[in-house]
Amino acid sequence: MSEGAKLIGVGATRIALAGAIVEIGNVFSSLIHSVACDLSLPKQLFGYAILGFAFTEAIALFALMMAFFIFICFL
Amino acid sequence: MNSFLYITSPLDQFEIRNLLSLDAPILGNLSLSLTSIVHGIVVNQINAKNGQVYFPLMYTLFVFILMNNLIGLVPYSFASTSHFALTFSLSFTIVLGATLLGLNKHGLEFFSLFVPAGTPIALLPLLVIIEFISYLARNISLGLRLGANILSGHLLLTILSGFTYNIMTSGFIFFFLGFFPIAFIVAFSGLEFAIAFIQAQVFIILSCSYVKDALELH
Repeated sequence: MSEGAKLIGVGATRIALAGAIVEIGNVFSSLIHSVACDLSLPKQLFGYAILGFAFTEAIALFALMMAFFIFICFL
Repeated sequence: MNSFLYITSPLDQFEIRNLLSLDAPILGNLSLSLTSIVHGIVVNQINAKNGQVYFPLMYTLFVFILMNNLIGLVPYSFASTSHFALTFSLSFTIVLGATLLGLNKHGLEFFSLFVPAGTPIALLPLLVIIEFISYLARNISLGLRLGANILSGHLLLTILSGFTYNIMTSGFIFFFLGFFPIAFIVAFSGLEFAIAFIQAQVFIILSCSYVKDALELH
């Protein structure tokens, strides 16, 4: 029973992906907006977009690490 | 033979040189090299005049993380940055070093880093506690970001490859149907290649930002 409860808990951590998915779309959509809004794309702007993508992906991976932690470290 | 024109020192072995660089005046004066990229990051994040002192550290860190990430992408090889022991020891060391740098430079005034500008007095204790916890979380988040990205990429590739092997060995027609998962695995390995570069760059951008926070107390 504890094994089943752990699996339910691990599945429940996937809800955190919703925020990460929205934010990654937000970052690149604002990149496209600012490129279309009379701004030639210097490397710095694209660099900011990649930086924002790495941060939001880090949050998604924090949730993944919590799932692993719950699965392995509780009996 | 007895006149030395240049004084050589044993520190010459630590000089950082451009090994691979791209110099194309035809593409709009494009001059790319690893040292220029890292130098640009360091000088932009930390002070433009005094920030060059931290360039050897950041360059070494960048090349270390990048090469460990790339070596891990070779099949049957070992991804050392996917182990949290390595990434947490790097991040704890860097944030502790930045803290000691700030304490050495500013003394006890370093703790004004935890007070954001323009806050009402009533909120101050709560805000200082929150800022302090967020500063402590920098240790973990820097290492966890790198380790979790590389680990999850490799884990996904392992799981997909296991399933694809089961598909391809279960029949004659399934062997040819198995090329679609293999195409996805190849494409995802390309993404992992990009993630290797991006995670190394994000690591040193954040390290430079933490050093700047400690030196200049925003």
